[in-house]
Amino acid sequence: MRFLDYIFLALRNISRQKLRSALTIFAIVIGSTSVAIMLTIVFSAKNFINSQFEKNGTFQQIEVSPQQSIQWGRNNQGCNSQSSVTGCVNITDSIVNKISKLPHVIGVTKEIAVQGAFDGLFYGHKKLQVMQVLAYDANGIVTSSMLAGRDIRPSDGPGVITITSDYANALGFKNNYSKLIGQTVILHSTAFYSGVGSNPVAQSQYIQQFCNNSTNQCSPPATELKAKIIGISNSNSPIGPGRYTIRVPMSWATGMEEQQSVQYPSSQLKVTNLLTQNGYSQLIVKVDNASNAANVAQTIRKDFGVGAADAETAIKQQLSIFNIIGYILGGIGGIALVVAAVGVVNTMIMSILERTREIGVMRAVGARRSTINRLFTFEASLLGLLGGALGVLLCYLLTLAGNPLINNQLKGNNISSQNILAMPTWLILSVIIGTTVIGLLAGLYPARRAARLDPVEALRFE
Amino acid sequence: MPELIKITSLTKTYKLGDEILNALDNVTLNIRAGEFVAITGPSGSGKSTLANIISGLDRPTKGSIIVDGSDLSKMKDRKLSDYRNKNLGYVFQSFNLQGNQTALENVMMPMYFSRVGHKDRHKRARECLESVGLGDRINHKPGQLSGGQRQRVAIARALALNPKIIIADEPTGNLDSVKGQEILSVLKDLNEQGITLIIITHDQTIAREASRIIKIHDGKVRLR
Ligand SMILES: Nc1ncnc2c1ncn2[C@@H]1O[C@H](COP(=O)(O)OP(=O)(O)O)[C@@H](O)[C@H]1O
Ligand SMILES: [Mg+2]
Repeated sequence: MRFLDYIFLALRNISRQKLRSALTIFAIVIGSTSVAIMLTIVFSAKNFINSQFEKNGTFQQIEVSPQQSIQWGRNNQGCNSQSSVTGCVNITDSIVNKISKLPHVIGVTKEIAVQGAFDGLFYGHKKLQVMQVLAYDANGIVTSSMLAGRDIRPSDGPGVITITSDYANALGFKNNYSKLIGQTVILHSTAFYSGVGSNPVAQSQYIQQFCNNSTNQCSPPATELKAKIIGISNSNSPIGPGRYTIRVPMSWATGMEEQQSVQYPSSQLKVTNLLTQNGYSQLIVKVDNASNAANVAQTIRKDFGVGAADAETAIKQQLSIFNIIGYILGGIGGIALVVAAVGVVNTMIMSILERTREIGVMRAVGARRSTINRLFTFEASLLGLLGGALGVLLCYLLTLAGNPLINNQLKGNNISSQNILAMPTWLILSVIIGTTVIGLLAGLYPARRAARLDPVEALRFE
Repeated sequence: MPELIKITSLTKTYKLGDEILNALDNVTLNIRAGEFVAITGPSGSGKSTLANIISGLDRPTKGSIIVDGSDLSKMKDRKLSDYRNKNLGYVFQSFNLQGNQTALENVMMPMYFSRVGHKDRHKRARECLESVGLGDRINHKPGQLSGGQRQRVAIARALALNPKIIIADEPTGNLDSVKGQEILSVLKDLNEQGITLIIITHDQTIAREASRIIKIHDGKVRLR
């Protein structure tokens, strides 16, 4: 029999028992839709995250930290003299120089995280907690996405800051970020802050007077620094620091890292700088090509004893969770498909029983056993194919319905990406081919039974 | 005329538990090309069993059946199916049409199995229906046709691939005598065009029209 005739006859048979065929296909649709939509969500999410990082050139970046064991993610606290973290290597300017001369390295960003110096951001009556004061020379390597105003420039001196959108929201400027630009806020220091802007004489006197006696509470007066907001950066920018971050110019951060004290009885002012003592909190090293990142990171670890992590290795690792979720969810849909396959077997056996006499007639007028076998296998495969195709279609409609919701959500988070739910072609094809194969497999046994019917008995069947 | 069908010492045995039943018992007979043979005998005598073996639907337990030089009992399913498809037209007592398909579609059925193309299939099916006098009923479904018309559709289907042999197992059994005569004359016309015709029947008026009557009794053939 001709290939097209098989399809034609199989389709005609399927449409003969409309309700039964529809129910059987429906079960396959449920299974294939769930597999398709689950995998679509997982892979779209993965793609989305990947593309966000790729867009920012993140895969070309390596984080270098004084701590040898670091996790990629820009939240490494670095090392300082007070902390008991072991295995710290100071990232000095000399190390920075050497790193920037390594092959494939095209730039280095130095970062200073001002630790424990400030605890409050005041604006009018609003008092917000300070999580992180950070400075880095962007060098064209790190870009913050600005929602209003402008980013810090190398030429900026002390007294200006940018804050993240979450801060701006907390200050009551949601959707009104530009109104904050040019406003002055107060950075409120912790009690023992002795960096730029503090009064070391008064502080030393206070300490001399009150802090030698353990019964007294010892809290030297805090310092308040005026800061002008020049930009609002996106908290959600995956490259940016934490959600609540204040960025200051490098020169200001260097001053904040100073420790000044007055020596008694000499009354001499002693100034040390934590930066020279501890080195930079972190470096972002940019390489020419993402494929070199992992190797360069390894070289940096080996040559300088510092920690170095490339984004790609880390992100790929984190994204592998999506694979796992995908497999689990896909597995659930798979079980639905197995149940649907049982439905196909059942439908086919029923249909063959009903058509016993017809099979006898077909045999009598010249159908071979193989013809009957193929005809019913085609029919079962076609049920699978139709189920898969409808499933994919339904999945597509679901992405059409889901995308506006997600777009809205992303827009609320200041991410401009659109319609991130998309079915990859391979997924469409695998779902349709997969259900067709399931139908085919489910049809094998019933079709064999049909082919083995004795024509004489089949013709006598009532 | 040369022998078309040569049946030699053919036995068909059914086992029902311990009982052994010879539906056909050492049958030997020849049928020449172009003959019109009637096979008669009481119910249960083995007529249908013989028809099924000649038509390649069933196989003998012992003995040989040679049609047109090839031994049916030695053929694989593939060749035997092709034999049924191309050399033989089977007409059933109960018509065995597909109720949900039109006369045309029913007649086309054998042609799917010999890969006749879409256009030729339609053309030939129409021709066959016209030749049995149903040119104006091609799109009717069996339910919309009378018994005689249904049997004519079945004959048209048997004709579809120009068979050498038409074998009809009690083709008039479900019809009144007038309709029966009509069917007989259709079949006789085909015989006159050269098709070997084997009719199994109870009806002596039909049997008498044949050039030869083969009587079966308890699976044994008495030639006359
Ligand atoms: N599949 C079968 N199993 C057992 N006995 C059968 C089978 N087919 C036919 N028979 C028996 O073989 C004998 C001949 O049957 P059949 O050829 O149909 O008779 P007829 O057509 O002459 O009425 C009958 O006794 C019948 O019961
Ligand atoms: Mg009979």
